[in-house]
Amino acid sequence: MALIETTGLGRVYNEKTVPVEAVRRVDLQIEKEEFTAIVGPSGSGKTTLLNLIGGLDTPTSGRIVIDGTDIAGLTPEELVEYRLHHIGFVFQAYNLIPVFTARENVEFIMLLQGIGKEERRRRSEELLKAVGLGERLHNRPNQLSGGQQQRVAVARALASHPAFVLADEPTANLDSESTASLLDIMAQLNKDHGMTFIFSTHDNRVIERARRVVTLEDGMIKSETPVE
Amino acid sequence: MLPSLAWKNIWRSKKRSFIIIAAIAFGLWGALLAGALMMGWGESVVNTAIDRDLGHIQLHKPDFIRDRELKLSIPSGMDVIRHIREIPGVKAVSGRTLVEGMAASAASTYGGEIAGIDPERAKQVTDIHNLIVAGAYFDSRGKNQIVVGKKLAERLNLKLHSKVVLSFQDVDNNLVYAAFRVNGIFKSESSEFDKTHVFVKQTDLFRLLNTAPIVHEIAVRADSSKLMPRIAAALKSSYPDLSVKTWKALSPEIAVTAAAMESWSYIFIAIILMALIFGITNTMLMAVMERIQELGILIAVGMQRKKVFVMILLETLMLSLTGGFCGMILGGGTIFVLSRTGIDFSRFASSLESFGAGTTLYPFLPVEMYVALVAMIIAAAALASAIPAWKAMRIQPSEAIRRF
Repeated sequence: MALIETTGLGRVYNEKTVPVEAVRRVDLQIEKEEFTAIVGPSGSGKTTLLNLIGGLDTPTSGRIVIDGTDIAGLTPEELVEYRLHHIGFVFQAYNLIPVFTARENVEFIMLLQGIGKEERRRRSEELLKAVGLGERLHNRPNQLSGGQQQRVAVARALASHPAFVLADEPTANLDSESTASLLDIMAQLNKDHGMTFIFSTHDNRVIERARRVVTLEDGMIKSETPVE
Repeated sequence: MLPSLAWKNIWRSKKRSFIIIAAIAFGLWGALLAGALMMGWGESVVNTAIDRDLGHIQLHKPDFIRDRELKLSIPSGMDVIRHIREIPGVKAVSGRTLVEGMAASAASTYGGEIAGIDPERAKQVTDIHNLIVAGAYFDSRGKNQIVVGKKLAERLNLKLHSKVVLSFQDVDNNLVYAAFRVNGIFKSESSEFDKTHVFVKQTDLFRLLNTAPIVHEIAVRADSSKLMPRIAAALKSSYPDLSVKTWKALSPEIAVTAAAMESWSYIFIAIILMALIFGITNTMLMAVMERIQELGILIAVGMQRKKVFVMILLETLMLSLTGGFCGMILGGGTIFVLSRTGIDFSRFASSLESFGAGTTLYPFLPVEMYVALVAMIIAAAALASAIPAWKAMRIQPSEAIRRF
């Protein structure tokens, strides 16, 4: 069984006024341990598709089944809970709480899950070391570079033991060196720990590192490279 | 971690937070001071009336307050006075012989109440002796001495040692005319009282009334106002045939004024807080709008919307309580100093005297008002946070993220 399966997935905005089909009839399957990029020009529906898979938006039509659960039928409160326990997110910006340190940001997710203090401490340290920020536990975001902040975001995304990580344009604001460093870490986590990563991007640096590329155009899948 | 996060979020914009905290602090400072002034004014009216003539408790024959007839004296009044002095908590007792009459001088005549007193006993219950502005209270030896109020002295064109003729009825309903010499002129906080009350020695009055010692009114001063209810209860029990009333019953308008001052203090503080709510709401709305993306991402990664609501509520509470405590320290400190030094309002003396208040006011606020203020601040903060917290709670992550 695929980790993520969408069937006839569609999302229409402004249904009553000027309808816009951001995503239409998308059938997509993503297996565990994939390192997949969803690409396409601006307006192709990449972010919308990612939002639908991530439970941040509700489809107008179709199904989204994640690890056996049809999330399209969940209520908004159930979706929040589902995201907390099953999905990790890395966004383009504003990932971190500015008043918290790197460690506190990673711990925050576990706090929301109700995990105890000792376990939170241990795991946040472990994750930050895994992303190469073992010496930066007590730094706030404004004391970290853009690349370091995104690495903290990756650590936080992994803190909840998610089934997969969605990364929406994670390298958009980064220079080449930071991008390479971030992708190295994500690739390492995918290889060593089997973590599934799904990117929405139009950054060639990301596309080149992906093992599978799904191309969207006008809200539909135009092409897919084979899964390696 | 939510309280910690909320506290840290407040200080993300230090300037903005300091401004709103200062606004709350200064607003409450003014409100507390105004409230304390009102309370001080109310207490001044009460204390002035108690010190001037009411005392804490008065006893009469039941119909005397209404009819004020000479024959309605307290049976065995002198014995009653001696007994009351023995009651624990009673500081002093003074008996008064009261007669309605006329005071006449060469210039004019005026009606009023003639009070026959034992000067030494009366000094312990009221403070007329401290209000003498000309002459002296009473000389121990002289006969037919009279102490008059300044307003009456002006009306009758009386000076020290002026002759004034008092006319009244004795116990046999005979009209009595008696000449007195002005020994002292007093000025109280009530110009109305000064106009309508004169004091003579009881011994002189007994002689003129052609009667054995009688008293119509017994005024009691307690060691403290807290003992007043207990002493009044004891007197009612001991003298069921007499009317025993505290100052509140004797002068309900003063009691209402004092109670109204406390109510007005609360109302004034509530009005200031209501005005501050708008400022706090505006500040928090700005704080939420600035963080739309961040809050959207927090909801995206799994923070329950109700936790977002609680976080904004906590931020508002912490901001308001910080400003509130600063205001209470400022206000409480100012009131503490002024309650000892007093504020001189002598330039408004004539207005204050018409209300029976002294010209130096001592602001104060009871401790329970500070406790109530904390509750009011919490309620105001909760109200102020409603719109911003609701807005934060309703953020749609997908829309917030699209704003990048």
